[in-house]
Amino acid sequence: MSDALILNLVLFLPALGATALIWVPNQRGDVIRGLAFWTMAAQLALAAWLYAQFDPANPALQFATQLPWIPGWGVSYLIGLDGYNILLVLLTAFLGPLVVASAFTAITKDVKLFYAMVLAIQFTMVGTFVAQDLFLFYLFWEAMLIPMFLIIGIWGGERRIYATLKFVLYTAFGSILMLAALIYLVVSIHATTGISSFAFADLYRANLPVDVQVILLAAFGLSFAIKVPMVPLHTWLPDAHVEAPTAGSVILAGVLLKMGTYGFMKLGFPLFPQATQILAPAIAALAVVSIVYGACLALVQTDIKKIIAYSSISHLGYVMLGLVSFNLLGIQGAVMQMVSHGLVAGGLFLMVGMIYERCHTRDLAAYGGLAKILPFYGMFFVILALASVGLPTTSGFTGEFLALLGYFVSAWPQFVRGDAFPLVLAATAVSGVVLGALYMLWLAERLLFGAVKAPHQPFTDLNGREKAILAALVAAIFWLGIFPAEPMGKTELAARHYQQTVTATARPAVALGEAP
Amino acid sequence: MNVSMVLTAMLPEHLLLAGIVMLLVREVTAGKPRAAVWVALAAVYAAATAALALALQGYAAAPFPGQLSVAPPALLAKAILLGLAVPVLLISRDEFPDRQFHILTLSALYGACLMVSADSFLTLFLGIELLSLPVYVLVLLAFRRPESAEAALKYLVLGGTASATLLMGASLLYGWSGTLELVAFARALGSSDPLAVAGALLVLVAFFLKAAVAPFHAWAPDAYEGASVPVTTFMAVIVKSAVLLAAVRLFGAAPLSAPMVGVVALLPLVSIVWGNLAAMRQPGLRRMIAYSSIAHAGYLFYAFLGEAGTRFEAVAFYLLAYGVMNILAFSSLPPHADDAARDRLDNLKGLFQRRPYAAVTIAIAMLSLAGLPPFPGFIAKFLIFKNVITAGYTLYAVLGLVGSYLGIYFYLRVVQYLFMSAEEATPSRASPGALAFGAGAICLAAGVVMAVLPGWVLGLL
Repeated sequence: MSDALILNLVLFLPALGATALIWVPNQRGDVIRGLAFWTMAAQLALAAWLYAQFDPANPALQFATQLPWIPGWGVSYLIGLDGYNILLVLLTAFLGPLVVASAFTAITKDVKLFYAMVLAIQFTMVGTFVAQDLFLFYLFWEAMLIPMFLIIGIWGGERRIYATLKFVLYTAFGSILMLAALIYLVVSIHATTGISSFAFADLYRANLPVDVQVILLAAFGLSFAIKVPMVPLHTWLPDAHVEAPTAGSVILAGVLLKMGTYGFMKLGFPLFPQATQILAPAIAALAVVSIVYGACLALVQTDIKKIIAYSSISHLGYVMLGLVSFNLLGIQGAVMQMVSHGLVAGGLFLMVGMIYERCHTRDLAAYGGLAKILPFYGMFFVILALASVGLPTTSGFTGEFLALLGYFVSAWPQFVRGDAFPLVLAATAVSGVVLGALYMLWLAERLLFGAVKAPHQPFTDLNGREKAILAALVAAIFWLGIFPAEPMGKTELAARHYQQTVTATARPAVALGEAP
Repeated sequence: MNVSMVLTAMLPEHLLLAGIVMLLVREVTAGKPRAAVWVALAAVYAAATAALALALQGYAAAPFPGQLSVAPPALLAKAILLGLAVPVLLISRDEFPDRQFHILTLSALYGACLMVSADSFLTLFLGIELLSLPVYVLVLLAFRRPESAEAALKYLVLGGTASATLLMGASLLYGWSGTLELVAFARALGSSDPLAVAGALLVLVAFFLKAAVAPFHAWAPDAYEGASVPVTTFMAVIVKSAVLLAAVRLFGAAPLSAPMVGVVALLPLVSIVWGNLAAMRQPGLRRMIAYSSIAHAGYLFYAFLGEAGTRFEAVAFYLLAYGVMNILAFSSLPPHADDAARDRLDNLKGLFQRRPYAAVTIAIAMLSLAGLPPFPGFIAKFLIFKNVITAGYTLYAVLGLVGSYLGIYFYLRVVQYLFMSAEEATPSRASPGALAFGAGAICLAAGVVMAVLPGWVLGLL
């Protein structure tokens, strides 16, 4: 079996699994759960194999498949792995089985539809990451809304309809402008060069006037910034997170939010480099506002899920900051932070779900001293909380530290030249680290320590399934924290490519379509 | 007149006529109307196959020069109209087993075929009338509610106005150019002579009236709601497709003059925005689809902003995606003793719990009509807006896309009712008949082909 075929399998396995579910009778919940879980597990195994096979020294697209799809428009089915998406594909595949396993007891209504939708969204998420053709990317990007709409809307909490409509209408608005921008981009390249292509590699070499670049980056960026989300476009996130079922929250925090930062890194910034250089200070400022504002909001919440939701806004601000540092440290840090946040926030949402399943409330005031009665729960929560704070040896440290360091490194020469703004931003961003420690440790303190307080005592500690899920997450978090060099080696060439593309003052004078 | 050419070029029409004659004869001789739907289906299917076969051969002929000619685009247009008519007939059987319905439907299809091969305003008018007159009767045919009479009357009056406007425009164009051929319209588009502009505008208004483009749309919601579900489907799919495909022929290869761009962009834009806004507040699926079809007429006329060579492909693909999904939605609508209550959105609440297949197909249809990927409606919308931007009208494209965003909400609301609401106290448990199910399966299969292999479908067009 060729390697390219395996990548196709990684992409299509969840879709096949969802299709197979149609023929499983509704009342066979065990078969449905088993089918969904093993589909995800098989996907993870294949994705891990591809990760091991991935050659970090090869800058080209690996395991690529290219088939003409709509030849008249220059649209092709073009997928492949590179340093940009390899870790994110692995992260998505890694979270897949955990998400499925976390829902075994939590979801009792319309079980078949639920797992079909989880598999469907897995398909579209992997598709968004592996697509190397803008039309295909947009197709997956937008198709993702539909399963998420149903997951929040059917299995969500009290205000689920409001939350899911808000989520879809927010993100769809960004997407519609991105659609206009991407058509304009392809059409204008066609008009100047005669080449009609949606392939990223061709689009990277477009030479657009700076004013056009700014408008197009604004349109793409709006869509990505809503997904990240960056303040002030974040208001859908707390509602969606709080109302979503646990599995939905994990998917949202673990993978969906990374779509936005991945979009910036893979498309928004490299496609419009001059506009990016112009807008970089504004983007950095928004990122810092997101870091500090998200952390402040997390500090004052009383709903455990909301605290973690707002912490996501804060943590993804570091990713954006790293991306606009334009040096290798910051970019690599941003990539690590994406993966780390997926694991840590995913894990925290899972833990909130586990306590909610037992006590049916997320009100922090109802809890206290859980570590005494639930020792395993307490242990895992503390580890995840410390990873979220960025304790060294956890993945959170690698990402946050490198992203901040990278931004400092790029801010310093500007300060020497007389522009203090970036340095002020960097200093402010550091305060986010302090605030992050504050709200996260305070949350752990109120939840786990002090006088024992909980509704419906006594309840049971984590069962084997839950321990296994959390142990897998914690293992991954430590792996990224202690051996970051290995995954960072896989992404280094992509980080260099990103850096060169975005900082190049002029595009190489190569006509489009010359390369194979 | 070359008899064999007339026989070949108008083969689809002849097959329809044979079906009509057969049904009329049976009406006199036989009692039970059971076989009516099969005769009609056979005639329409044969006609669609004939049109497609001729189109694929690249057949072109002018049996009545200056009045009627066929070439692959016209033949493909007929194949699309007749192909879409097959599932419409299938979903009609449960409500209309009688022959009158099928005779009227076949006559209307004959008119639709004439419209898309017309070369002169006379043939065009003949086609429009032959299409419209049976539909007035069809609206009244299942006379169960007073609203049906109101709907038929409104449709008749507005249809009459459209015909009068078309004739007035045609006569002005005749006065200006001395010819009744359709090319006069295309030439008038590029002229600044007041007579020509007035004639072209009147003709355009007639088409806007027929296609329900704002501000000429007000009849559509009442007419769609008053008719029974299969007739609503016929109006929303076949009549609209015939009008749009005839409009492509009417515009021909002419580039639009600057003032015409304003008319062809602004009114459809208003249509998109208004149709989508008004659809948000509708309590029933038929009324909602009526407003949605007003918005879709807007997208379709947007295609005329594109370069002349791209219009047919964009309109045809869009109509296929739009038609297939409309029929799919209506084919899965559970029957109800009270026709007026059948499509009330409240009755769709919790449909997934009792009829999962119907709920999923209606949801697919809604999401496709909303233009969300991966459904064919997205690819159709993409093609139209790509052509508009290629032609340089970026601002109109952005406004149109933002207008289309407004539509997402009410389509999602239907999905919300289907999946996320509790069941009504006394839901209808009846299921659509086998033929309606078959129609849905055909449409679903066609939708899958258009979504997975859009390149192949576009290659045919």
